[in-house]
Amino acid sequence: MMVSKGIEDIDVGVPRDAYDIGKDTPTFNAYLTVVVRDSEGRVVKVHRQRSHSPTANFIGLLLPLQYFLNCGCSYTVKNTGGSTYGYRPTIACNGLAISYPNSSSNYPSYLVMIQVGSGQQSNPYSAYSLASPIANGSGTGQLVYGQPSVSSNITVSGGEAYFTITQTFNNNSGATITITEVGIITYVQAPAAFNSNCNAVTGYAMADTYGQLLVWYDVLSSSISVSNGESITIYYTFAINP
Amino acid sequence: MVTPDVVNEDDIAKLIISDDLPDEQPSFKAYIEAKVYDKEGHLIQYRRQPMRSLTQYFLALMAIPLIGTYQGASVNSAPGIITSVLGLPSSMSTSGNSANILWNWTIQIGSGTQGFTTSLESLAAPINNGTGAGELLYSTIGISYAGSAIYVTLQVTNATDTAVSVTEIGLQGTVIIQYYGSNGYTTTSYNFLLSYDTFSTAVSVPGYGMAVFQIILSFTG
Repeated sequence: MMVSKGIEDIDVGVPRDAYDIGKDTPTFNAYLTVVVRDSEGRVVKVHRQRSHSPTANFIGLLLPLQYFLNCGCSYTVKNTGGSTYGYRPTIACNGLAISYPNSSSNYPSYLVMIQVGSGQQSNPYSAYSLASPIANGSGTGQLVYGQPSVSSNITVSGGEAYFTITQTFNNNSGATITITEVGIITYVQAPAAFNSNCNAVTGYAMADTYGQLLVWYDVLSSSISVSNGESITIYYTFAINP
Repeated sequence: MVTPDVVNEDDIAKLIISDDLPDEQPSFKAYIEAKVYDKEGHLIQYRRQPMRSLTQYFLALMAIPLIGTYQGASVNSAPGIITSVLGLPSSMSTSGNSANILWNWTIQIGSGTQGFTTSLESLAAPINNGTGAGELLYSTIGISYAGSAIYVTLQVTNATDTAVSVTEIGLQGTVIIQYYGSNGYTTTSYNFLLSYDTFSTAVSVPGYGMAVFQIILSFTG
């Protein structure tokens, strides 16, 4: 076992520039921009804030293979309905991994929507659904959800690069609707290549359908009111070296 | 009314990336740590500095948990970010069965320096894994997480009597697509440099000493 007996003789202090002094150049930032337009398409409000919060689902799905190989464990993801699944990507036996498009059997994993809501919750990391989702529709308290879109490429400018996820919502409800929370929801399916006996799985006989996972969540720093007839467009921007 | 009249999408786009928002904390921080031990196991150096430089490949990789791997529920093609940046196929050719995607990370250290670009693909002068002169023996990568922070750890040993100087460090990623081909399940791999940083001053691993390098990726939430 390694003994650090000389530790008292050296300078182990954290260099000044490593402290969290708010002046480090961040390597990654996420922004949330909300543009409100009136019924004639004129911009009437722009709201912009930092986006803070990957959820536990996102962290679990981002973890690399080596984590699972080292621990021999799975990571629990929870879908918006509250059901839990053990995510365990591996090339070896009994492993599951996110599906990929192919010419035979497809069980798509895809972006479902940016979802908006009228509630809030204090621990975004552990959130698995919005506190109070606003339903898709033109009834009371509802918004008409457009289709989400994703940049087809990453935009690079010098050392900076970013992509955006965008979605527009229309208020045809007949009354003002207030938005206080926003999240990104992705549908995930994880087929296995080999079963627990290490035999190749055929026809997706073994796969987990996790369903809709909340992977990113933000409470707005100030609520957004959308009057009847207005629309909002939400831009999630993910940038490196901004 | 904040913005007075018709604003086109280009104008809106300018709002997306603009000046910093100084009153709010950044949503992500990353650090690099190095601990150096002499041949007797004494800790002789400790370094910690902010990580500065992620590549576009990191951004594309983190897009997978965000947007999935399909363009839509009924569109059997991968999103453009994945295909254009990572160079993955829009669809795998399979023989009656499935395909899935995984990725792995490792730390690569080197003895060179170079300027940063978002499309950087390798270190300037990677230090080989081995016991020869100028080489370091790489151990298995350790990965852990705590809340929204992910820790990637590499231990290296200098098997020679001559110090090895480390001046650069990168997080390397390998994306693996596993699919059912004509001969059963197989894999195809794609390698990327996910981050690149140089040390503010070189880290010297003494003869018969060892060092532990750690990259910490923290989404502050």
